[in-house]
Amino acid sequence: MDIVTDVKIADRTVDGRPRGFEFFAGALMALLLVIVGLPLLMVVLMSLRTGLPGEGGALTLVNFVAVYSNPKTYQVLMNTLLFATGSVVVALVFVVPLVWLLMRTDVPFKKTIMVLLTVGILIPVFLRTIAWILLLSPKIGLVNQWAMQIFGLERPLLSLYNIPGMAFIQGVSFVPGAFFMLAAAYRTMDPSLEEAAHTAGVSKLRTFLKINIPITMPAIAAVMVYLFMTAISVFEVPAIIGMPARIQVLSSLIYSSTSPPAGLPDYGLAGALGAVMLVVGLILAYFYVRLVRQGKKYAVVTGRGYRPREIALGRWKWPAMAFIFLYLAMEVFIPFLVLFWTSLLPHMQLPSMEALATVSWNNYLTMPSNVGIRPVLNTAVLMFAVPSVAMILSVLISWVVIRSDVSFRGMLDTAAFLPHAIPHILLAVGLGYLGLAYRNYFPLYGTIFIIMLAHIISWIAYGTRTTNGVMIQVHRELEEAGKVAGASKSRVLWRIVLPLIAVGVLNSWIWIAMLSYREVTMALTLFTRKNVVISTVVWQLWGNGSIPEVSALGVVIVLFAAVVVGGLRIVLSRIGTIGAAN
Amino acid sequence: MRYFRGCRSRFSRGVITFLLVVGWPGFVQAASVDDVIAAAKKEGVIEFYAPSTLTLPGAQALAEGVNKKYGLNIKLNYNPSGSMPKDIAKLVGLSASGIPPEWDLMCTTDAHQAPLWSKKLHQTFDYRPLGVNPKAIQYDGGAVSFANQIVLPAYNKKLVAAKDVPQKWEDLLDPKWKGKLAVTDATHHLARLAAGAWGEEKTTNFVKALTKQNLMLGRLGEIYNRLLLGEVLVSVTMNDSQMHAGRHKGAPIVFAEQVTPVVAPAYIAGVPKGAKHPHVAYLFAAFLTTTEGQKIWEKTSGATSAFIPGTEAYKFAQGKKLVLMEQEQAGMIERLAVEYGKILGFGGL
Repeated sequence: MDIVTDVKIADRTVDGRPRGFEFFAGALMALLLVIVGLPLLMVVLMSLRTGLPGEGGALTLVNFVAVYSNPKTYQVLMNTLLFATGSVVVALVFVVPLVWLLMRTDVPFKKTIMVLLTVGILIPVFLRTIAWILLLSPKIGLVNQWAMQIFGLERPLLSLYNIPGMAFIQGVSFVPGAFFMLAAAYRTMDPSLEEAAHTAGVSKLRTFLKINIPITMPAIAAVMVYLFMTAISVFEVPAIIGMPARIQVLSSLIYSSTSPPAGLPDYGLAGALGAVMLVVGLILAYFYVRLVRQGKKYAVVTGRGYRPREIALGRWKWPAMAFIFLYLAMEVFIPFLVLFWTSLLPHMQLPSMEALATVSWNNYLTMPSNVGIRPVLNTAVLMFAVPSVAMILSVLISWVVIRSDVSFRGMLDTAAFLPHAIPHILLAVGLGYLGLAYRNYFPLYGTIFIIMLAHIISWIAYGTRTTNGVMIQVHRELEEAGKVAGASKSRVLWRIVLPLIAVGVLNSWIWIAMLSYREVTMALTLFTRKNVVISTVVWQLWGNGSIPEVSALGVVIVLFAAVVVGGLRIVLSRIGTIGAAN
Repeated sequence: MRYFRGCRSRFSRGVITFLLVVGWPGFVQAASVDDVIAAAKKEGVIEFYAPSTLTLPGAQALAEGVNKKYGLNIKLNYNPSGSMPKDIAKLVGLSASGIPPEWDLMCTTDAHQAPLWSKKLHQTFDYRPLGVNPKAIQYDGGAVSFANQIVLPAYNKKLVAAKDVPQKWEDLLDPKWKGKLAVTDATHHLARLAAGAWGEEKTTNFVKALTKQNLMLGRLGEIYNRLLLGEVLVSVTMNDSQMHAGRHKGAPIVFAEQVTPVVAPAYIAGVPKGAKHPHVAYLFAAFLTTTEGQKIWEKTSGATSAFIPGTEAYKFAQGKKLVLMEQEQAGMIERLAVEYGKILGFGGL
């Protein structure tokens, strides 16, 4: 019996901490059951009733019969499967090489690229999609027009109005989020494996395929699961690219149920449709938990001479830069140029001399009256509080799920993941009615705090996918060494585990802040005049067709965020260096 | 649910107290203008729900107008609409749970408030003593019609030659438009055609024929911008709320004005049952039908009433056939809007 095992036995039988730890894990589980379970219960009840939330009525399966006896449902589910799978594949094709280049190699301009990746998300998806329309529309797309002129084609070369087009646009937009989920896993990888491969004469590409990818498989699996669920629930790309071509996915059906052209929303039908997401989410969570249970074999950050080191790319540096530039052009540069161009116009126009004559700063000058100060303040509150609470909860949950033998850790992880399988609109409706019903005890309704709660619930899934991924890679021997030295569990977490996963936690913090800024469905459903945020203002302007005004707002936010995120990245890079943290 | 029953009980007690304080609705119905103004003065505030196109300055201008006209000092809290169907649904759900509405006055299209009428959730009131034209009173005294949208086919005048501009709805079925038309998810625009001389059968046949034109589908704001970009040349319907701002900025999107009948959804102002400040709300609803109110609404949203002489909508309507929705037709329009959504490919099972 080695010393580590001895410590474990002593830990369990003498000092009684596991019992206390189980109590702590139980408290976490109870918290999740309340904040996730109650809205989820509301959603389930909605799906089992025909009226509106609050109207009561007998429980019935009529919504499920209507949904699952209709052959159209299965066509829509097939579209959804193809779209979601395609989106995940596209995202992985870009993100895995990107994260390897930026985290494991000496590719230049890393900090700038990281900032660009972060601020790219601030460009609203619908405006980003308009950039794609300008490029790839079969009728007005510049790429198609050039191709037809150069090659004398009679038909457009490409069209984005199909499932592959939707998957491509969605997949590309997933990359930054996936990047920050994977970044810490790659950052904390022990280079001794790569060095061994290098010594054995294995090429960099083969090392990447045979060492880096397999070692980070739990993190990649977490990203795949998360993105797949996200792809099932996203609405913007299916609406702007799919709807014109009559391609329906699950989120389109949920949207049409909750936003009818006249009359009242059918939340019951939407709930029955959302049940598919819950089932898929549970199945994926099951496989993910099984993968995590094998996590010990992926631990690469050990107590023995850990030192992250960069791989010299040599002559591959510039092809790597070209790859990164291609991605950034698609995700950031072109959308931002379109955003900036549009922000100067009185109304949407293709670039031309005539359009150039109409440019002005008017949309920037009218911004204060279009937006006001309250949305800015509320958004700032959201962007600070939501990631802070979500990441604290995520670290604690992952600590239990990955670092303990608590019998219900799989359930805890599933409970943390489940909110991602609940359509945002239904989660917000459920939460809104709970907020109203219990407003005397928890006066959250109508305040920014109810949106905050909705966002926290939603993004615990994102936070825990990241923290699970990085914690798996930190070998238990480091904590066990701490315990041998007499440190309490909380002290081990604070002094040993947290510094090692700081990069992942802070990356996710920034990313959740960005998601919170951008989220509109829940903010709009829980919207009152007191809790208006920037995303609801953007939605209203967009709904009115005021794209130039939205674009001006977008440009200001992107520039502001570039400065703020740039500063944070500088701080992050110092904290995130393992040696510096110690 | 037990809590909701508790709420209902508390709500009932609250309603009784409330009625003792401000008077039974029957009393209000018989009240003079002075009585309403006096009650409004005590209430002092209004939670005002209106389209986001109105904007905060527009809403404040309305409040100033009301204060000036009635000698009041009402504080207005503007609640721009996020999603009218969802907000009406929230109000219906809240009411069923015994929770009072968040808003004192809701300005939406007539179709959006149809569920409030069918579920008897309007606070009915006799608006005539406040100077409201009886023809503008809708939903059995639950709401006041104060403006009309204009809905017609719209096109990009830079891309469509004058000789090609549709002259009638059926022109949109010409094969020359195949692949060049768009239709918005506001399918109630088309459903409203059935409320007029066309009737249900002709309208449904028209919608079915449209599907052969390889339509591009989208939401209102998107289709307006696709028209601007030239992705499509004509939108089967567009409303003037979308076009109002663009007109002032020189956008080349215009109505095919020769097309008739003109679909004219009404903007109505309704007071939800249980509103906390009903008298202020009655005054606001009445004010919206006055010349001053019309000017403010027109300036901000571009819409005016087709029944108030001198307004833009009134002038536009002269010599044209307008299709207006009767309250009894609300159910039919809702049904057809959903059905047409499915026919056109917008979704729905």
